[in-house]
Amino acid sequence: MPEQLWFTALLNRLFASPVTAFLRSLHIEPRHPAAPIANSFAMEILVFLFLLVLFLMVRSRLSVDCPGALQHMFEGVEGFIQNQSNEIIGHHSESYTPFLAALLFFILFCNLIGLVPSFESPTAVAVVPLGCALCAFIYYQAQGFKHAGIGYLKHFAGPFWWLAWLMLPIEIISHLARVLSLTVRLYANMYAGDMVTLVFISLVPLVLPIPFLGLHIFVSLLQTYIFVLLTTVYLQGAVADEH
Amino acid sequence: MADEPDPGKRDSNDKENFWVQITRYTQLAFIFPAAVVVGWLIGVALDHWLHTTWIYLAGLLFGIAAGFVELIRAALRNSK
Repeated sequence: MPEQLWFTALLNRLFASPVTAFLRSLHIEPRHPAAPIANSFAMEILVFLFLLVLFLMVRSRLSVDCPGALQHMFEGVEGFIQNQSNEIIGHHSESYTPFLAALLFFILFCNLIGLVPSFESPTAVAVVPLGCALCAFIYYQAQGFKHAGIGYLKHFAGPFWWLAWLMLPIEIISHLARVLSLTVRLYANMYAGDMVTLVFISLVPLVLPIPFLGLHIFVSLLQTYIFVLLTTVYLQGAVADEH
Repeated sequence: MADEPDPGKRDSNDKENFWVQITRYTQLAFIFPAAVVVGWLIGVALDHWLHTTWIYLAGLLFGIAAGFVELIRAALRNSK
């Protein structure tokens, strides 16, 4: 039986049988059939539920005349992403804001949840940043096809038709490397941040870990910003008219 | 007069571009080894699938080339 957080144990107690049955229907045998839900997945579910409640709260309290603190905060984040997209992608970048904002909030809360006692950051497990990177990859490729149609494939052929045989594999590798790069950057930073905090808390439980907790918050914010900024840069490359 | 850019606004845009440039440059540190690893992995997968022993080398070379292409693109983008 793997070591489980209380929330993971609760989910496994409630949903272990249907999840195991679902995995077996896909011909996947879970390592622990009595506890198929991992801590990282449970934390993702928790962040998702938290964000859902938060968005519903903001939605129910929207006001033009008297906006609350929460509405101000969300409008600030939305404005920040909107300005950044406008600067990098140019006009017509408004349609990408919902995806970029969702990505930002999900990664930020996944990073920060590790600071709450009895929880851990799901982004410190490689599959979670990989999932986020794959979402970003699929989204910007889909937007590229939506923008230029089948002509988007010309982006992969390079500047000259007679170089296409060489540029095609290079471009494919280059695009796949972006997924690996986004994954490794977020995973390594969050894992290292978690380890440093954990080591100092176990050595000296009082006062000394506070700067490292501050460092963890700074790294969480920075890595979220870099992830979203790079996704915006990749989107710009995909929807650019000339390449 | 109306066509002259607002100095304050220009400074703000420059600062934002500066952050984008920093992110693009730091990305190179990750994208170069990532491209080599991805090229090698694709080569190994093709070797396994086609029962050959040399495609991993071609994959490795294409990965290195992809890393250099990204590097040159970043340099050209910022020298324009």
